Amino acid sequence: MTDVLRVVIVDDHSIFRSGLRADLDPGVEVVGEAGDVAGAVAVIASTRPDVVLLDVHLPGAIGDLTGGEAVLQQALPLSPETRYLALSVSDAAEDVVRVIRAGARGYITKGSSGGDVSAGARAVASGDAVFSPRLAGFVLDAFGAMSGETARADDELDRLSGREQEVMRLIARGYAYKEVAAELFISIKTVETHVSAVLRKLQLSSRHELTAWASARRLL
Amino acid sequence: MTAVPPGPVRPGNEAPPPTPPLPGHAASASGPTPAPGLTVARAAAPLTSPAPGPYAPALVPARNAAGRAPLRRSRRQQLAGVAEGLAAHLGWQVGTVRVLFVLLSFISGAGLMLYAWLWALVPLADAARTVTGEASPDNRVTRSMPAAWALVGTGGVLAVLAAWMVGTTGPYQSEWFWCSILAMTVTVGGALWAGFLDANDPDRGARHVTLVRGTAALILLAVLVTDGWVTIGQRSVSALVCAMLAVIALGAIYAPILVTRLRAASHERITRIREEQRSEMAAHLHDSVLQTLALIQNRAGASSEAARLARAQERELRSWLYDGDEPADSDLPTDLRDYAAALELDYPVRIEVVAAGTSTERASGDLAAAAREAMLNAARHAGGEVSVYIEGRGDAVEVYVRDRGPGFSLDGVPADRLGVRQSIIGRMRRAGGSAQVLPGAGGSGTQIRLALRRDSSHAANGMSEGRIL
Repeated sequence: MTDVLRVVIVDDHSIFRSGLRADLDPGVEVVGEAGDVAGAVAVIASTRPDVVLLDVHLPGAIGDLTGGEAVLQQALPLSPETRYLALSVSDAAEDVVRVIRAGARGYITKGSSGGDVSAGARAVASGDAVFSPRLAGFVLDAFGAMSGETARADDELDRLSGREQEVMRLIARGYAYKEVAAELFISIKTVETHVSAVLRKLQLSSRHELTAWASARRLL
Repeated sequence: MTAVPPGPVRPGNEAPPPTPPLPGHAASASGPTPAPGLTVARAAAPLTSPAPGPYAPALVPARNAAGRAPLRRSRRQQLAGVAEGLAAHLGWQVGTVRVLFVLLSFISGAGLMLYAWLWALVPLADAARTVTGEASPDNRVTRSMPAAWALVGTGGVLAVLAAWMVGTTGPYQSEWFWCSILAMTVTVGGALWAGFLDANDPDRGARHVTLVRGTAALILLAVLVTDGWVTIGQRSVSALVCAMLAVIALGAIYAPILVTRLRAASHERITRIREEQRSEMAAHLHDSVLQTLALIQNRAGASSEAARLARAQERELRSWLYDGDEPADSDLPTDLRDYAAALELDYPVRIEVVAAGTSTERASGDLAAAAREAMLNAARHAGGEVSVYIEGRGDAVEVYVRDRGPGFSLDGVPADRLGVRQSIIGRMRRAGGSAQVLPGAGGSGTQIRLALRRDSSHAANGMSEGRIL
């Protein structure tokens, strides 16, 4: 992780971009902004930022892909080192899942403070996943954890392991990673590993619930 | 300052509120029957009469202070409910009123005119309602007299009479034209009665309507054939007119079908236009107002007044935009979300409600009440960020309420403070569940854990519902 985090903000509302830019920590430098899919791809390719703060509801859907997904699909090969943090005005996890499955490493609501967004960007840049309580609740539901489905093998993609379920439940209860670690008597690093594993499953699993939620294209 | 009362407000054990009077209502009430005190009594009657049993009086009109029922047409009608309503209002026998109507009809049809006038202007009796305000299933209008058949039958007889008149050379020979016209009018009247009035009558149904309509069509066809034959045989212009009228009448008896179709089509169109407008508006508001509200929240700081107001507005706007017209069902997560929104307006607090799993727990249950109390406690004493997590498994529901305030221990709470002891712990124990007050994670704040096991029947429901919250 470099001293100054270089980020690009992709959002079609200039007022939101300037607001967020002013609100971010001093350790976060905004190296570019874009308001549409084409502009975002160009800016990401030329500046190669550490993190892209990507609006989930970016207009400019291409075929089946939403704007956010289109940016991920086109820009990922151009700047493979760049990590993506989804920003959403909505509380619903379903639409966030699409962007996460397309490659974003976490999600944060637009109502979050500049400090929270900065912290989220740092976490994503260092390879961690950023989960909100609501997304954790969704994951527990979508992977069938509530009806007692538990992965038997570690590499099983369609179910969560017992430990992953515990971590997700604590995150859903509003615990920070640090607090999860203390509660479960494990290191923060281990918590981060579990969350990253869940993120990977979220991206790669072919569970019906995930694809169904994700393909139901809704505005909210 | 307390937040909104939980759960739906149940109306007390009183009669339904009086329906707003229709236009022409006052005239009908005071016009034909000049009864003193009637107007006042009509307004007062439904309020002063208590409902005996689960149904408010609907079929038997409520009596007013003067001992006189308001003038209303009954919903269990013979023909149109006029005589019965008038009899109830005047306190006479129904038979007397009917005989009077018939006798008056001989004075150049005065009885018929009065009947038609009352039919048009006197409103129906109030629909029966259950105590909870839902319409009772039994409030549709039924008519026991087979008026449609009577009209169509009369039409048939008149048609036969007209055909006989054409064939004879008796004194009535010239009257056949008017007799045919009358036959057709009455027949069409019967078919329309069936199509417009009987079609909505649960006791008769679609088969009855089809039968009446078919019979009427047969009669009209017979008239058409007869008149056509006369037209050709006698080169009579009036027979030609009659035949043409018969064709028009045939169209008219199927008019109700056409009208119903047109009505449905225009209703559908209006609904579609409204839906389109709504989604367009939703898209626009999503792109403008919701984004701005989000921005206000993140610029103003999480627990500032401006952020709280913006958050409440955002929530309200979102639920208005996306939840649609149907009322959200009051399951546990929905209820706690609503309560969180109300608390955020009253206290400097930000409450996130997350739900996982299925839950058949209702908003009216003890668990919901205890959870609301825990949230109120967190909002009042801790403020800041509060997390609520509802987890429904097959056989148990758990609710966690976690704040990041100064924290407290149960022993430090004075004995006269009932909130935690009674409303949370005591309530959960009485409901057969458990409640624990724990220090929050990392030693900061407070955590309240509520747990309730469901009995097996509820659990089975929960599984079969299989709804993801």
